[in-house]
Amino acid sequence: MEPLVKLSGIIKQFPNVVALKEVDFSLREGEVHSLVGENGAGKSTLMNVLYGVIQPDRGDIFIRGEKQHFHSARDAMNLGIGMVHQEFMLAPTMTVLENIILGFEPTKRSVLDYDLAYEQITELSREYGLAVRPESKIMDNSVGEAQRVEILKALYRGAEVLILDEPTAVLTPQETDELFRVIASLKQHGKTVIFISHKLQEVMEISDRITVMRDGKVQGTLDVADATKEKLAVLMVGREVFLNIKAASTKAGPVVLDVRGISARGRRKLSELTDVSFQVRAGEILGIAGVDGNGQSELVEALTGLGRVDQGEILISGTPITNLSPGQIRKKRVAHIPEDRNTSGLCKEMTIGENLIAITLDQPPLSKHGVIRSREVNELAAKLVKEYDIRPANHRIRTANLSGGNKQKVIVAREVSEDADLLIAAHPTRGVDIGSIEFIRSILLAQREQGKAILLVSADLEEIMSLSDRIAVMYEGKIMGIVPAAEANERVLGLMMAGATYDEATQGKGDEVIEA
Amino acid sequence: MKPSILDRLSKLQSPINVLAAVLLGLVIGTALMAIQGHNIIEAYTALFNGAFNGRFNFGGTLERFVPLLLSGLAFAVASQASVFNVGVEGQLYFGAIVAAYFGYVIVGLPSVLHVALVLLLAGLAGAIWAFIPGFLRATWRVNEVCTTIMLNYVAIFFTSYIVNHVFKNPNIGVPQTPTIQDSARLARIMMPSRANTGIFIALGMVVFFIWLMDYTTIGYKIKAVGFNAHFATYVGFRSRWIMIGTMALSGLIGGITGAMQVIGIHGYFLDNFSVGYGFDGIMVALLARNNLKAIPFVAFFLAVLKSGAIGMERFTGIPRELIGIMEAVIILFAAAEALIVIRKRVSLGKGGAEVV
Repeated sequence: MEPLVKLSGIIKQFPNVVALKEVDFSLREGEVHSLVGENGAGKSTLMNVLYGVIQPDRGDIFIRGEKQHFHSARDAMNLGIGMVHQEFMLAPTMTVLENIILGFEPTKRSVLDYDLAYEQITELSREYGLAVRPESKIMDNSVGEAQRVEILKALYRGAEVLILDEPTAVLTPQETDELFRVIASLKQHGKTVIFISHKLQEVMEISDRITVMRDGKVQGTLDVADATKEKLAVLMVGREVFLNIKAASTKAGPVVLDVRGISARGRRKLSELTDVSFQVRAGEILGIAGVDGNGQSELVEALTGLGRVDQGEILISGTPITNLSPGQIRKKRVAHIPEDRNTSGLCKEMTIGENLIAITLDQPPLSKHGVIRSREVNELAAKLVKEYDIRPANHRIRTANLSGGNKQKVIVAREVSEDADLLIAAHPTRGVDIGSIEFIRSILLAQREQGKAILLVSADLEEIMSLSDRIAVMYEGKIMGIVPAAEANERVLGLMMAGATYDEATQGKGDEVIEA
Repeated sequence: MKPSILDRLSKLQSPINVLAAVLLGLVIGTALMAIQGHNIIEAYTALFNGAFNGRFNFGGTLERFVPLLLSGLAFAVASQASVFNVGVEGQLYFGAIVAAYFGYVIVGLPSVLHVALVLLLAGLAGAIWAFIPGFLRATWRVNEVCTTIMLNYVAIFFTSYIVNHVFKNPNIGVPQTPTIQDSARLARIMMPSRANTGIFIALGMVVFFIWLMDYTTIGYKIKAVGFNAHFATYVGFRSRWIMIGTMALSGLIGGITGAMQVIGIHGYFLDNFSVGYGFDGIMVALLARNNLKAIPFVAFFLAVLKSGAIGMERFTGIPRELIGIMEAVIILFAAAEALIVIRKRVSLGKGGAEVV
C-alpha cells in the first residue's frame, strides 16, 4: 500500500546545528503513529517540515505518492495536514467558535454565516466526541478544552492527518484519558494521527507504529506489538536506561522530618491540609503519591516556609521550624527542589553559575564580608556543571536558553550539593527528557545511600513506586495511609488516591494483589 | 562554538538602539532648526561652544552633570530590584532642606567632616522618605509609582512651608534659608563657574554602586529580587526587606543629590529650587537602560545638551526649548524598545535543535 505521507532524505540545518540528518519517515493511512525522542532529537522540526512551517534544505515530501513543495502551512493545510502545537495558537479574547473558523469563515452573500459555522462545529464535535462550548471565550476555557478547540480547528480546516505535538504534556491524567478516547475516535473515522511524546507508557498505549528519533536521525520504526518500553528507551537514548533499579533498602536512621498534625489553607477547598502527620527518617525516601491538586503543593510550601501553617508542628531533627521563613528553614539543613522550575526554581535572567550559587552565596568560600569571590564562584560552578552533566557545559550561559532537563539539573545540582539533611523533591522529573529522568533518579537514590532523608512528591506512580521506601497517599488534603513500598501496588495506591483508606483498599483483595 | 558576528551584535542591541534614538533626535532637531531658517552650522557651533569653550562654559556643563548623574543613579539603583522610584525629586528636596539646616547650625567642624556629616544626614532623610513607598510596595503591593509621585508633592510643599515659615533667612525677601557655614561648602574647581568638588563625590558614588551591584552578595540579592522575586524568596532571601532596602538606598542617593545642590551650588535652600532634577534622572536611567556603567556617559551627554542650549540661545537666538524638543524626541525613540531589531540566532547547546 502506498503510504499516505512519505518524507525522504530530509535535511535541515540551523545555524550551528544540523537538526535533521537525512530523515525518512512514512505514514500509513488511518494509523496512529507516535514519534518519540528526547528533547532536541528533531521531532518538532520534522513535523514542522511536514506542516510547511519549516522548509527543508534538502529532501522530498510525497503526499499519496505525489511530490509536493510546501511554501507555508497553508499549502500543507490544503493537502489535509493539520497540526496542534504545544503552545496553543488561539486568540484568548475570542470565542471558541470564532477561533475555529478564523481564516476559513463560511459566508452567505459575503456575510459571515455564524449559524452555518455553529452547525458545522457542533456536528464535528459530536462526531468525534470533542466536547466544547462554542460560545465561551478561550480565556475561560481549561487547557484540556483549549486543546480540543485546536483539534476541532484542524478538523474544520479539513485535516486528514493530525499532528499532535506533545499534547499530554499540559494535561491532567483524566484529560489525557479523554484525549486518548478522542484519538481513538479520530482513527475510527479514518483519520491519521501523528502523536509526539516522550512518555513511553502513553505511546505504547495508543500507537499502531512508533518511530524513534535521536540526534536528528530516525533510529527505527516499530510496530507496537514488537515494541517494549526498554527497547524504545534504548533507541531513544542510545544505550540502556535504568529507570526502575533500586539499591537494596538501607537501614533507616533517626527521624529527620517530623510533621505533627499540620493544617493549612489551600488554594482550593480540596487542597486544604487537614491534620497531616508523618515522619521521614535519615536514609529513606518517603514518597507522597496523589492526584495533582490534593494538597501536595500546600504541604511542600508549609514544610519549606513558603506557606503558612495554621495548626500543628513541624520539626527538623527535633527543632521546630513551623512558620519560619524559607531562609531560616534552609539554615536547618533543608534543601528543596520546587515543583515549578521556571518561576521559582531558576532565575532565567541569570547564568547557570549564578543560579548554582544562590543558596551558598553567603557562606565561605564563595563570599567574604559580603564580597563575592569570583574565582571560587567560577570554580564551584564549573565543577557542578561537570558533575551534573549540565549542557551546554558553560556556566556563563543564561538558564533561559536551557532545555527542561538541563534546567532541572541546575536546580538538582544546587540543592543536592548543599549537603542538607532533608531533601524535599517536588515532581523532580516532570516534563524532562528520559536521560535526565534517569540521572535525577539516580541522584536521589545516591542521596538516600548517603543517609539523607528524602521527601519525594510526584504524580507519577511509577516514579513513586520505583524510588520510595514508604509511600504516603494524599487525597483532599489528608494522608489516606502510609504503605511500605514492598506492599504497595498500583491498584491499592490507585484506590487510595481516589479516597480509600489502606484497609478499605486492601480489604477482601488481599489475595488477588496484582503485580505492580 | 564560536560566537558569530550576529551573536555579538545582538549583545549590543540596546546600546545600538539608544544611539539610533539619539541620532534620530538630532536629525529631527536639526530639521526643525532648518525649517525655521536658522543656520545649522552656526547653531551647532554655538551649542558646542556653550558646552565646552572656556572654564565658565565647561564648568557650567559639569555643574549640570552632577545632579543628572546622581538622580539617574538613584533611579537606576531602585530599578535593579524592579522598583520604580519616581520620587527622586521629593527625596532630593528633603535632602536639600536637611543639608541646608545642618550646614548652617553646626559650627566649628573641620570642612571634610562637616561636608561628610551633612551629606550623610541628607542621604538619611532621602532614605527615610523613600522607605515609605518602599515599605508600602513590599508589604501591601501599593504601586510605588503612584505613592512616590504623590510624596513628591508632599515633600515640595512641606519644605516650602519650612523655608517660608520656620527656617527662613530673615534678611532677605525671597524664601530661602540662611547661608550655610563655609566649612560645609564644597570647593569650586573651575571659577568663575559653580562647578565644584561634588563631581568627584558623585563619580565615586557611581563607582561604589557599580561595585555593590556586581561584586557583593547584597548586589546579587537585589538583582535576584528584581529579576524574579519568587526565586529570591524560594532560595531563602528576604525579598521584602531587600526591596525596601533598595528603595531606601535609592532615596539615599536622591537625598545626597539635593544636598549637593545646596552645599555645592547655592549655599542655601531656595523654595522650589529644583528644575526637575529628579525627573531628569528618570530620563538618564531610561537612556542608560538602567545600566549603571552607562549612566555617567548619558548624564554627560544630556548635560552638554542642556548647557550648550543656553549658549546657543544667547548667540544665535534659537530658543533653548528646541533642545528640549530634541531631548523629548530622543526619549520617545529610546522608549521604543525595538527600534532596530537584531535577530538573534537560536543558539542552542549540543544536540539542541528543537527550534520552534
